[in-house]
Amino acid sequence: MKTNLLSGRSTILKFIALIIVIVALFSVPSWGSQYTVMFFMLVCMYIGLGQMWNLLAGYAGLVSLGQQIYIGIGGYALAVLSNYYGVPLFLGLIIGGLVAMLISVGLSYLLLRMKGMYFAVATWITAEALIVIFAGWNYVGSGNGMFIKAVRGMPTSTIYYYSLVVAIITVIIVVFLLRSKLGLGLIAIRDNDSAAETSGVNIFKTKLYCMMISSFLTSVIGGLFYMSQVWVQPYAAFAINWTIAGMFIVVIGGIGTVSGPILGAIIYVFLNQYLSQFGGISMIILGIIAILVILFASKGILGTIQDKFGFEILSARRHSDRTFTGKPIEELEGSNL
Amino acid sequence: MSDYLLKAEDINAKYGDFQAVQGASFDIKKGEIISVIGTNGAGKSTLMKAIVGIMKPSGGKVYYKGEDITGIPTHKLVEMGLIAVPEGGRVFPRMSVLDNLIMGSYTPKARKERNQALERVYELFPILKEKANQAAGSLSGGQRQMVAIGRALMSEPELVCFDEISLGLAPTVIKDIYATIRQINKEGLTVILVEQDVKRSLKISDRSYVMLKGKIVLEGNSQELTEDEVKKAYFGL
Amino acid sequence: MDALIQSLIQGVLLGGLYAAIGIGMSLIFGIVKLTNLAHGDFLVLGSYISLVVTSTLGISPFLSLIIVVPVMFCIGFVVQNTMLNKVLSKGAEPTLMITFGLSIVIQNLLLYFFTADARNLHSSITLKSITISDGIRIPVIYLISCVVGVVVILILGAYFKKTYQGKAIMAAADDLEVAQLMGVNIKNIYGLAMGISIATAAIAGVMVGMIYNFYPTSGSSYLVIAFAVVVIGGMGSTYGTLVAGLLFGLAQVLGAHFFGAQAQLLTGYIVLLVMLIFRPQGLFSK
Repeated sequence: MKTNLLSGRSTILKFIALIIVIVALFSVPSWGSQYTVMFFMLVCMYIGLGQMWNLLAGYAGLVSLGQQIYIGIGGYALAVLSNYYGVPLFLGLIIGGLVAMLISVGLSYLLLRMKGMYFAVATWITAEALIVIFAGWNYVGSGNGMFIKAVRGMPTSTIYYYSLVVAIITVIIVVFLLRSKLGLGLIAIRDNDSAAETSGVNIFKTKLYCMMISSFLTSVIGGLFYMSQVWVQPYAAFAINWTIAGMFIVVIGGIGTVSGPILGAIIYVFLNQYLSQFGGISMIILGIIAILVILFASKGILGTIQDKFGFEILSARRHSDRTFTGKPIEELEGSNL
Repeated sequence: MSDYLLKAEDINAKYGDFQAVQGASFDIKKGEIISVIGTNGAGKSTLMKAIVGIMKPSGGKVYYKGEDITGIPTHKLVEMGLIAVPEGGRVFPRMSVLDNLIMGSYTPKARKERNQALERVYELFPILKEKANQAAGSLSGGQRQMVAIGRALMSEPELVCFDEISLGLAPTVIKDIYATIRQINKEGLTVILVEQDVKRSLKISDRSYVMLKGKIVLEGNSQELTEDEVKKAYFGL
Repeated sequence: MDALIQSLIQGVLLGGLYAAIGIGMSLIFGIVKLTNLAHGDFLVLGSYISLVVTSTLGISPFLSLIIVVPVMFCIGFVVQNTMLNKVLSKGAEPTLMITFGLSIVIQNLLLYFFTADARNLHSSITLKSITISDGIRIPVIYLISCVVGVVVILILGAYFKKTYQGKAIMAAADDLEVAQLMGVNIKNIYGLAMGISIATAAIAGVMVGMIYNFYPTSGSSYLVIAFAVVVIGGMGSTYGTLVAGLLFGLAQVLGAHFFGAQAQLLTGYIVLLVMLIFRPQGLFSK
């Protein structure tokens, strides 16, 4: 399994295509308009957001509704560090990521023993509590939020380069993570918690690592986003819309796949920009599209295509024989009337 | 045709791509006890699911009282007098014993006869009357099986499929339950037993069918079949 | 001292309302095993429908329930049967996503038709209160909403205990396949449960609208209350919900009493988080 990363002609072709795409992406600011650069920047951020939500929900079985915790922390860390302590922006992003990681460790100890919907609710409520705390905290400007003074005058292309690098990192991390021992453990957990436990997978640690990675990178994305926005404000920074976006991207693209969120992010940003001209009904359309995709292509666009044609662009998945209900065949036959 | 209460012809059933039942046929006359014997995974439970409408057969026909009932939803079949007792004494664990039994008389026809039916179940299983208000999930395995059987009887059935009735029960309990089945059969109920236990099935039933890998590989009069013969078919030797 | 007693009374009365907010969610979680993230939005939708009914027909919000409840029941039934039932077997994410999608659609539809302005269902009864002593006054509307909440719970409890249909829903929650084997038509049973759930949310929505202002985006704060009540009371427990509503109402009001009005929300969140961490199975289950 590990060796097939770069073996085979088609894989080499894929790899070359990938390099070309990446080079093309880096060249965007040299030919694109301000708007184009911003569009690609948003796509990159949302790819990262989607990948990190997917790592939790699609692979570790942790359906988080609280990714906005880390977005907000990233934004506020950057604002506080650069405004009050004069910390350079790049360093601010990293420190923000570390703070988020620390928070995720604390949350993991409290929340990881919860399952399914309990975990989902707890992460969401934590974010809601942070809104109340930040909105009442004078140090961070209470309800008005903070301006990140240091980013004034920074060209969009700089933030775009950062975002592109982060997006690539999230993809690489997910691909390599899933091919590593940790990934094997994750798949064991996703298939069967208790069986994974007895076969020696440390479930807590595996999930903890996923939480840490996800929180760090999501926080960096939050920092980048607020670099481009300049103004970080509690109701928006900790809003559940962030998780909705991540979820939308992953589910539209294909949950549990690496390439799905990339496609999902492009669709999401495109729809968001395109639909914004319709004002109020844009969100209605977005919501309806999400519902329709889940109803009629429940594996997402790429997942459905993969099932039909049996190919995968960035394979990180280990296939197992499963029936349509997700249960192994023997189990189904074994369960009687 | 009409002398059979139920007749299944060439039934196929699939889980996704996996064909669990491949062309199985069997029949049962009114008042008979038949057994469908097979190992775990032989497809016998899937066959029963296809008969009672829990899953749609991918091929074949089921006739009940001469009427084609293939693919008819379970709740209609229950009204027609065909009911199944699920394996392992599957009760509604959080509901009381009484409520479990009442759920057996869910169909409009059975609701009218509810009180008489309840009396009869209590006669068969006096212990259930004592425990009427306890949560069914708190009962022992044998008692849960009694609830499951009693619940099925509440529906005023003509044909009952018992699925793996002896699974996980102590031998003395199995003996009692088999005695009960024989008794209700004598009172006129037609019975299909789905079993893994070769010896017991042969002893109680009039006719037997042996299933292996989704197919019926042996059938015959239970008295005429020898245990060896059945076991060979059962394991596919 | 009077202020404290006043808070306590208010907390207790809020409890009945909170129970009504949460009961539908608890029901759906216990029976269909899905988390309806649009529960709060359905509640607010109920408030708006009542608003339309009361203003066009000129009737009181209480009377509007005659129209609001059946309409919302149908919406719940249809949503369950046409959308949620289709993805139930595919794990938690699709249902979460669909209810999320519904939440977005409802919020934005309300925003589109009613703007972001504050609305309410105030009537002459809203301002009345019963004076107990100089410092202690009970607003009549709090009392009524509490009674309505308790009545809703009692009716539901009787429905599940006494009727065949209610028992069938409980049986389906325990073991769907066996319920089917006993002759329950399970195709509609989840739709029925969701219809009831959304109808109770709408009743709560009308009560809420008579007490507070509401906005198209108010749903999420009621979702939090619903969650809290469900988690404290234990999933799917009818009477647990009532006690949970009471406890949560008290916790919030006392939080506001001791730490200031803005602490009301935070107290609620913290109570909920502590419950999730230490007793996720609810206070009353063993």
